[in-house]
Amino acid sequence: MAEISTVDLVQILFWFLAGCISFYFSIGNARVWTSISMGFFLIFLSQLYVIEKALDMPWTAYTQLEAIHYIIGTLSIMVMTHGFQEYYIFSRTLEIGGSKQAVYFTILGLLAGSSAFVFLNPEPQYTVLRNIRMIENTTWVFLCLVNLDMVRKIYVQIRDSLIAKGFIAFGIVFIALFLWKGSELYLQVYNWDNDWKIIMQNLGGVVTDQYMGRRDFSILVHDIAGMLAGFSVGGTFIYLVRLLR
Amino acid sequence: MFLLPKGNPLYENIAAAKVKLPEMFEKLKGGSFTGYLNFTFPAATAILFFEAGKLISAMLDREGKRLTGFEAIAGVCTLIFAGGGTLSVYKLSKDLTMCLHAMIHGDVLYQGQELKLIDIKGLLEKLKAQRLNGCLRIYTDDRTALIFYKEGAPLGFFHDGSTDIETSASESQKIAGLSGSKIDVLSTKSADELMHYDLLEMVNVTKLWESTTSRVATERDRIRKEAELVDRQQEDDKLRELEDDLKEVAMAYIGKMGATLVEKELNDRGGRKALLDGGLVTAFLAGVEKGAKLLTGMSKTKEMLETMRNEISERAKP
Repeated sequence: MAEISTVDLVQILFWFLAGCISFYFSIGNARVWTSISMGFFLIFLSQLYVIEKALDMPWTAYTQLEAIHYIIGTLSIMVMTHGFQEYYIFSRTLEIGGSKQAVYFTILGLLAGSSAFVFLNPEPQYTVLRNIRMIENTTWVFLCLVNLDMVRKIYVQIRDSLIAKGFIAFGIVFIALFLWKGSELYLQVYNWDNDWKIIMQNLGGVVTDQYMGRRDFSILVHDIAGMLAGFSVGGTFIYLVRLLR
Repeated sequence: MFLLPKGNPLYENIAAAKVKLPEMFEKLKGGSFTGYLNFTFPAATAILFFEAGKLISAMLDREGKRLTGFEAIAGVCTLIFAGGGTLSVYKLSKDLTMCLHAMIHGDVLYQGQELKLIDIKGLLEKLKAQRLNGCLRIYTDDRTALIFYKEGAPLGFFHDGSTDIETSASESQKIAGLSGSKIDVLSTKSADELMHYDLLEMVNVTKLWESTTSRVATERDRIRKEAELVDRQQEDDKLRELEDDLKEVAMAYIGKMGATLVEKELNDRGGRKALLDGGLVTAFLAGVEKGAKLLTGMSKTKEMLETMRNEISERAKP
């Protein structure tokens, strides 16, 4: 059985709670909320791989599954960005369209398509997996900034309505997510991440111990922001459930 | 108001609005009618005398102002269309018709003579000698009696409170005996001479009636249009007020976006007039609910929709 750090365990616990709450929230609410809450639920699914690996589940031997988990992570931020975009359009035009089923089926379709892409191509090696993870983190960092701006604009538009404070909470969530994914991307960009260390070891190379302060600080930010992100997502949805009751 | 003997009433107090004057005149002409038509309108009275189907005179008294001939007939046409009038038709003898004509249209020989200052006996003898066709009106401030003469011989007596000609002179004598009583003497041409006049030949009643019909229709149309315009304006004001109130309700529950939401949902359904249509109101409220769900809680949304529904059902009645 592989080891799982306390930080990872707490993060998974928070993401599990956040996933349940957001999924529950998506059931009884408008389509816009379906996209947003499904996006957050998908984070939990992508993070689930950490536990599966720790529990040494038999399917973790297939690197394709690890790739699919990273793709799910990428899809999660894209889906929730789509939700926030729709909410922003609503706040400007008051137009609401489409159905919840369309959101569910699109997500399922994207997951099926991504899985087909992964399984039809050669089995991903560590370098490929790291690349997919970097793409995930890059997408997260970029779209977190986009969403922060969108959340600000939505808040300005609806600031005297009951739900406005919920968007301040989403602002905090995206700051935490930006730091969580951004710190990991920073480590990857400078080859200071653990995956790169393993790859170098397999190749017989060595990663130098330079800039350890920055590296350790980035890892600390990653762990704290990860926990904070899970906690704030769960808290935000509990707050929204209470507000919209 | 003219107090006249009723003779033989053919119609009494029928609605004047139902009368088509040219047709009625045609009928009276065909039947060689002798007598008079008495139109009573809310602020006017008209008497039209017929002798053997000929309209010998017409008089319209409108708040003390007397019109005769063409003007009287034209006035009657207008007043019939104005509504609220009644018509009575009385058949009389040729002689009595002549006397009544004298009373209304006759030449005044004496007017307002105090009875105690004149020799009544001498006057009656003079009338007899002159073979007078006409009428003597003996009156005080509150009582009147009429004595009708044909060729100087009395035909009959008529006074306040009676409905027809009487043969007894006692009431007339009583009035003549009252202090301050006065006498008017009115004469007219004989019945045969009067028959030389026929207003129906001088006035094209059909044309007059048609032009009045068309003028009244135009006037009514104008009034109807004005009324419609006022109604529309009032309805629009009422709906604008309701829309403003709905916006206020929405703002109280959702915030300033509530007002925009109400405006948008109404515009999507053709404007505030949609509030008069049950189906569109349901669609409007569904649209507001859909938008409100993204801005506030379920309980507040339900409360807001209930308030809006009540406001609309109370105030948007077509």
